[in-house]
This record gives sequence, C-alpha cells and structure tokens, in this order.
Amino acid sequence: MWIYEKKLQYPAKVGKTDLRMAKYLVTQYGGPDGELSAALRYLNQRYSMPTNVTKAILTDIGTEEMAHLEIIATLVYKLTKDASPEEMERAGLGGHYADHDNALYYVDATGNPWTATYIQAKGDPVADLHEDMAAEEKARATYQWLIDLTDDPDLIDTLNFLRVREIVHFQRFGEALDLVQEYQNSKHIF
Amino acid sequence: MNDMNPIMLRLAQAYVPFQTYVNRWDPTKGLMMGTIFPELYRPYYGRDRRRG
Repeated sequence: MWIYEKKLQYPAKVGKTDLRMAKYLVTQYGGPDGELSAALRYLNQRYSMPTNVTKAILTDIGTEEMAHLEIIATLVYKLTKDASPEEMERAGLGGHYADHDNALYYVDATGNPWTATYIQAKGDPVADLHEDMAAEEKARATYQWLIDLTDDPDLIDTLNFLRVREIVHFQRFGEALDLVQEYQNSKHIF
Repeated sequence: MNDMNPIMLRLAQAYVPFQTYVNRWDPTKGLMMGTIFPELYRPYYGRDRRRG
C-alpha cells in the first residue's frame, strides 16, 4: 500500500500559459518513455524479481515515478488551464479540446494514446532490468529534448530535477542488475 | 557487489559500478540538485553545448 503526501516531490512552476510546450511535455505523461510507462513497468516487474532487495528497488523507483507523474500532470495543466478553445485550436490542440476540453489525457507529443505495448515484463530479471535501464536513458534524453524546446526558466528548473532523477535511477537499476547476476551465478541458474 | 577487476568480469554481461558512500550535500541542497550525492550529479547544458 501507499501513504499519500499531499504535496509534490519538487515544485512545479511555469512562467505562463504555453500550449506549444504543453503539447510536447505531455509525452512525459502518456508517451512511450514517460512517467506513466515507467511507474507501471517497474511496479509490475517487481513481482518476478528474484530477491527482496531487487523487489524493493523496483517498488521504490516505481513509487517515485508516480510522484513524477504528478509533477508532469501539474506542469501540463498549468501550461494549458487558461487557454481558450480558439487558442488550443491554433496550437494544434483542437482535437484535444474536442475530446477532453482542458482535462489531461495520457497521450504522447503527437496525440497517440498510452498503450501497454510500451512496456514489457519478460519474467527474466536480467532482461527486465536491461529494459528498465534503457527506459531511464530514454526518459533522460526526452527531458533533454524538452529542455531544448523551452526558454521558461521555471519549467527548465523542474525538468532538470526530473532529468537528474533518471540518472540516479539508472545507477540503482545497474546495482540491481549486479545483484541479480551475482545471485544467479551463486545459484547456478542460467 | 561486483568486482570491476577486468579479469573477474564475464563476457556478454553488463555491469554498473556499485556506489560507495563518499560524501553528501545537505538535504535541502540534495533536493534542489535532484540527488544528494555530488558524484551522481550530471547537469545538462543544452543541445548546443552537448555537441560542442
């Protein structure tokens, strides 16, 4: 179970309404390398990890990804909440307005809905941890491209925080991989 | 804990060095930087500088 803290892990400020940037940033909400994909991937793969420590690493990181999902949701909502239907249409979000008004939805930067095909659970912990390490690198790269697409210093500050977390998670998954490989070698499981 | 001695490493297997405690920032600075560990902090300076 979870204990909910009624605050964000890190402040989510934006300078002004920016529909163009919201359209790109939403990929970290419902895109292939976004926070929803990350949270659901790790919180699902945890069950088939072979040791308690590696289960805990996936649970902890998956939980933190839920906190990041909240930050992204807050940012996207702040970037769009004051926009009129006409402004949304001009920003290429007319279809979003028709389907969702100003509500959030799990889509990537070009509007494709989130799908479970973004994530895998192979059952082989080495294969799953390689996917997780790759996911962290792809999310890190996505944050870099998003930083390149904006000049809003408040938004960049939060994106920088989230980007560094991806690097820390890569390190932890790498340590989990070492632990799994050591466990398998000691048990002579191949 | 993996021994990074190349003789001990197996082919066709990936390794990330285990982090060992060196030092840390205070918690407030750790929150602002995204990590409490200075050796894990890798800032991004933008596409132009990345290619430069």
